[in-house]
Amino acid sequence: MKRSLKIAIAAGATVAILGPLGYIWQRSLVPTTYDMAEMGYPDYGGGQVAGHVHRGGAGSSGAGSISVAALTGPSTGDPEVAVTLTARKEKSGRYTLNGQTPGPEIRAKKGQLVQVTLVNDNVTDGVTLHWHGVDVPNAEDGVAGVTQDAVQPGHSYVYRFVAQDAGTFWYHSHQVSHEQVKNGLFGAFVVTEPVFSEGIDEVVQVHTYDGRRTINGVAGESPLPARPGQVVRARVINTDAGPLRAWVTGAPYRVVAIDGRDVHGPTDISDKSVTVTAGGRVDLAFTMPSSAAARVDVGAGAAVVAGGTKATNEPTGVVDLLTYGTKDAYGFDPAKANRKFDYRIGRKAGFLDGKPGLWWSINGHLFPDVPMFMVTTGDIVRMTISNSSGEVHPMHLHGHHAVVLSRNGVAATGSPWWFDSLDVGDGETYEIAFVADNPGIWVDHCHNLKHAADGLLAHLAYTDVYTPYKIGDVAGNKPE
Amino acid sequence: MRAVYRVLAMLVAVGVVVQAAAIAYALFDILHKADDGQVFTKDSDNAGIAVHAVVGEMIVPLICLALLIVSFFAGIPGGVKWAAITFGVMVLQIVLAFVGFPVPILGTLHAINAFALAAVASIAMRQARVAGSPQTSATVAA
Repeated sequence: MKRSLKIAIAAGATVAILGPLGYIWQRSLVPTTYDMAEMGYPDYGGGQVAGHVHRGGAGSSGAGSISVAALTGPSTGDPEVAVTLTARKEKSGRYTLNGQTPGPEIRAKKGQLVQVTLVNDNVTDGVTLHWHGVDVPNAEDGVAGVTQDAVQPGHSYVYRFVAQDAGTFWYHSHQVSHEQVKNGLFGAFVVTEPVFSEGIDEVVQVHTYDGRRTINGVAGESPLPARPGQVVRARVINTDAGPLRAWVTGAPYRVVAIDGRDVHGPTDISDKSVTVTAGGRVDLAFTMPSSAAARVDVGAGAAVVAGGTKATNEPTGVVDLLTYGTKDAYGFDPAKANRKFDYRIGRKAGFLDGKPGLWWSINGHLFPDVPMFMVTTGDIVRMTISNSSGEVHPMHLHGHHAVVLSRNGVAATGSPWWFDSLDVGDGETYEIAFVADNPGIWVDHCHNLKHAADGLLAHLAYTDVYTPYKIGDVAGNKPE
Repeated sequence: MRAVYRVLAMLVAVGVVVQAAAIAYALFDILHKADDGQVFTKDSDNAGIAVHAVVGEMIVPLICLALLIVSFFAGIPGGVKWAAITFGVMVLQIVLAFVGFPVPILGTLHAINAFALAAVASIAMRQARVAGSPQTSATVAA
C-alpha cells in the first residue's frame, strides 16, 4: 500500500472517532449563564400543550406570562413568627446560622405567618434558604437561579409564607448546596397544631459532620428528658446524603407522620426500624414505659436516651410504608390523571459539561438535555420513577407533596403515603401521583446533593410561568 | 510516533498501578478513620476514591483513546490491534466497575480485569519496542 494511502486511511479513522466525540463533547457544554427553564426539552406527559409558546430551536419552556418573582407569600401583615438568620462561613470551613450549626430551630403554629430574614455575613458564594417539604409559594422556595438570586455577602433576603400544614420540615441553603448543606447551613422548621399537646416534642435532627453522626449537633448519645407515661414525639430529620434507619428501644412506637403529613391509622411497631430518606422526615411516637427507660437510635451510635437505656442491635426488619397504616382518601383521583411522566434514572457514559465520565441520566439523557415536566394548574399528574443506576436516589420534588401509588407494580395498601422525599433504590420503580396546585418552576432532584450537582435534576414547570432569574449570571447562581 | 505509542501504552499500565494504590489507600483510610469512631457515609470524602474515579473515568480512557489514534499512524505491526484490544479491555473495566455497585461480588472481576488491562497495555508497549529494534525495523519500513 502506498504511504500516502496509509496516512489517508489513518486520518479517516481518526476523524471517524474524534468527530462524533468532539460533537458530543461540544454539545454537552453548558453556558456560563442560562435560563434553567430553557434547558432540556419540554415533556407534556400526554397533556395539552396549550398556553405554551416555543422559544428557541431546541424547544423551551417557561415562556409564560407570570413571573416567578410575582408568586410570593403575603406581602402585607405582621408576621407571627419573625426570625433573622445570619449565615457565616467559619474558619473551620463550617457554615453557621446565627453562629450555630444546625441553625436555630424555628417553630410556628399552623396558619401563622412566618417571616425569615436571611442575612449573608461573609459567604462569598452567596446563600439562599429553601424550605424543604414546605409547599411555599414559588418565590419563597429559595432556589438560586430559579426562584431568586443568591444572597451576596452584606445583603439580605426576606422569606414570607403562611405555615399551612403542621409537620416536621427543615430549611437549608440551595446555593452550592452540596457543599453548604454538608458543612452546616441548615436547621429544623417545625409547624405544630394550634392546640396545646401534652408530652415531649423533640426534634431529632441528624447530620454527619466530618464522619461523626450527630443529633442536633451532638455526637453519640443525648439525653431525652421524658418521664414515665409521657407521650414522646421524636421528629427525625435526615439532613445527610444517604438514607438512615431509626428505631425505638424500650417501648413499641408508631410512625405518626412522614414528610410533614400524618399517617392514617398507625399501628405499634416493635423490633423493626424505619427508613428515613435523605432529606426526609419521620415522626416517631411512643409512650414512656414505667421504667422511664427508652431510646431513639438513628444508627452509627447516635441516639436520644432516657433512663440510661443501653444500646441494642439495630433491628433487622424494616417497616414497609407501602402497607403501614390504614387506607384513607387521597382527596383526588389518580385514575383521572391528565399528565403522565416518566422519570427514569440511569447511568450513562458521556460528557457532563465537557467532563468525560459515567454520569446520572434521566430518561436516557444527560444534563442539561433533560426533560422539563410541563403542567398547568389543576392537573392531576402521575409519574413513574424508576432507577437502574446502581445506587439509591432520594428523589425530592419541591413545592408539592405526592402520594405513592405502587412500588414495583405492587399497589400501596396502607395509609396514603404522602412524601416530598422518596428513597428510590436500585432496581425499584415507584408510581406516584400529585395535584399540580402550586404554580411555579420547581426543582425535582436527587437529594444526595452531589448527585444533583452531577446532573440528577429536572424541573416541574407550569406552562404559564417564567423565571427572570438565571443560573450563573452576576449573582453566581449555582443551586446545586 | 512509535515512541509516542510506546509511552502511551506504558502510561495505561502505570495507570493500573496508580489505581490499585489509590484504592488500597482508600480502604486503609476508611479503616483508620473507623478506629477514630468516624463512619463512612454517602457524604464521606475519600481522597483515594476521588483519585480512582478521576483516573479511571477520565485519564486512562483518554490515554487509551490517544493510543488508538496514534496506532493508526505509528505503523507498528499489530499496533492497531493491540491498541484496540487495550481500548476494549478498558471499556470492560469501566463496565465491571459499575456492575459492582448493585452487585458487589462482581466488583472482584473489576480487580481481576485490571491485570488484564495492564497485560494488554504491556503487550502493546512490547509491539512498539520490537518494531523499533534494528532487526525488524527494515521489514516494517518496507
